[in-house]
Amino acid sequence: MILLDRVTKTYGKSTTPALQRISLHVEPREFVILVGTSGAGKSTLLKLLTREEKPTSGKIVVGGIDYDTLKDKHIPLLRRKIGVVFQDFKLLPQRTVFENIAFALEIAGMTNREIKTTVPKVIELVGLTGKEKSFPHQLSGGERQRVAIARAVVRQPKILIADEPTGNLDPRHSWDIVRLLEKINRYGTTVLLTTHNVEIVNRLKRRVVTLEHGKITSDQAQGSYRQ
Amino acid sequence: MAKKQTSKQITIQKRRRRQWMTFVRMCRYGVNNFSRNAWLTVAATAVMTITLLSIFMTLSARDILINTVDDVQKKVDLSIYVKTDVSDEAVETIENDLNKLSSVETVTYVSPEEAREDFAKANKDKPESLNALNEATNRFPGTFRVVVKDINDTSQLEKFTKDNQTYRDNRDPNRDPSFSGGGKDTINTIGSWVSLAERVGYVLSAVFVALSSLIIFNTIRMAIFNRKEEIQMMKLIGADRQFIRGPFIVEAVVYGFIAAVIATGAGLGMLMLVQRSLSDFGAAVNSTIDTVTTYIGFVLLAMIVLGAIIGILSSLLATRRYLKI
Repeated sequence: MILLDRVTKTYGKSTTPALQRISLHVEPREFVILVGTSGAGKSTLLKLLTREEKPTSGKIVVGGIDYDTLKDKHIPLLRRKIGVVFQDFKLLPQRTVFENIAFALEIAGMTNREIKTTVPKVIELVGLTGKEKSFPHQLSGGERQRVAIARAVVRQPKILIADEPTGNLDPRHSWDIVRLLEKINRYGTTVLLTTHNVEIVNRLKRRVVTLEHGKITSDQAQGSYRQ
Repeated sequence: MAKKQTSKQITIQKRRRRQWMTFVRMCRYGVNNFSRNAWLTVAATAVMTITLLSIFMTLSARDILINTVDDVQKKVDLSIYVKTDVSDEAVETIENDLNKLSSVETVTYVSPEEAREDFAKANKDKPESLNALNEATNRFPGTFRVVVKDINDTSQLEKFTKDNQTYRDNRDPNRDPSFSGGGKDTINTIGSWVSLAERVGYVLSAVFVALSSLIIFNTIRMAIFNRKEEIQMMKLIGADRQFIRGPFIVEAVVYGFIAAVIATGAGLGMLMLVQRSLSDFGAAVNSTIDTVTTYIGFVLLAMIVLGAIIGILSSLLATRRYLKI
């Protein structure tokens, strides 16, 4: 599902690469946790996957799409196939919960009828029934992250990338979000989660890939993490 | 019997339906953004209103200036003098010949008797002048008052005074035509003022349009800068450039529309307010107001189109830097 082959990324004229000959293979339906300290290269790796950045060298293939042959005009189509959740939610502040989620379907050209039937199901999946007309500023941090997850999965992507989704949340809400990600993974979506949270990593008992100074230093099938 | 649609036709139909749906969505988002960003809406609409109002007032001022100078120009006539005892036939011939000249707008003949009466009327409160008139042995000449189309172009008329035989036979030897000598300088001065007024009008209009466009461009750029994270997010979830830009453009068009209506109303109101005082100073404001009120639909439409164009260009330029992949 995700294949990185000897990928290196160096920003500008920097002499130290942010990522150095990274090779990683993620199978369909896998749940992979990416850990590492700040500056280890986690965000760069995710930016390469969403094609916000281009690698300096190496090969990237996601969902069968080879980034070497991907034209700029097709990048929006690639991003519609990948669900992304951010630490700071990145919701549209002037739009309601329903509109934020529907937006992901509208840009894909789905009809109003399809949107009206799909969005309520996803709202129910993330446990936000009754909050459809609320604006993001009227919601708690955990609820906002649920909206972001709903928006990311409403198009039923094959891959969900969650970049520190619990970073701004208290422990109780963090666990709600992690359980939700597990639930989405059980439905068949490949999940790539980055986190600093030791407790979450250790209790999930999933594959853990550790990044340090731009290199993969460990890749454990049922890993743990120590800061 | 309806023909069965081919799969290609169905695909085209679906694509068109999707494009229409996307357009409607972009409009909806644009209008929503407009109504949900209260402070930004008020600020941008106010700046756009001032922009359009200054354009409206500059164009109106230019129109008033040109009309006023035009009026003054029409009041300036060139005089060609003929002998007191000129025959009616000669007067008619000269008048006809003058009217045939392409540079001549109107010709009026003032006979010596009429000139004398006019002088008497104008000086009825001055007994000394009237006495001088009664005692004077020299009589008034006949005068052709000529209004030319372009006050800068009197060459044809000058040529006429040199070449026309009837005039040459009947010209007043004591009085040269008034466009030669000192009179020519006055006429030239007025002529150059007309040209200057037109040029200044054009330059001022262009400067105002440029300045106002810069102001509104910066306001919209700031508004879009405030929402750059929103644009970034839209990009990341797969929105294409058109879909991101669309609502911003619709929003700018709405600013333009509302601002155009307010600016046209306010501009016309201001013109009517100063109509009397400007008229007292001899400014030709009435014809500008008449033009605006007669063609109010066109004026409003032009203002809306102008506001929309400024808004669209500003939005396109302002969003461009955030839309790089």
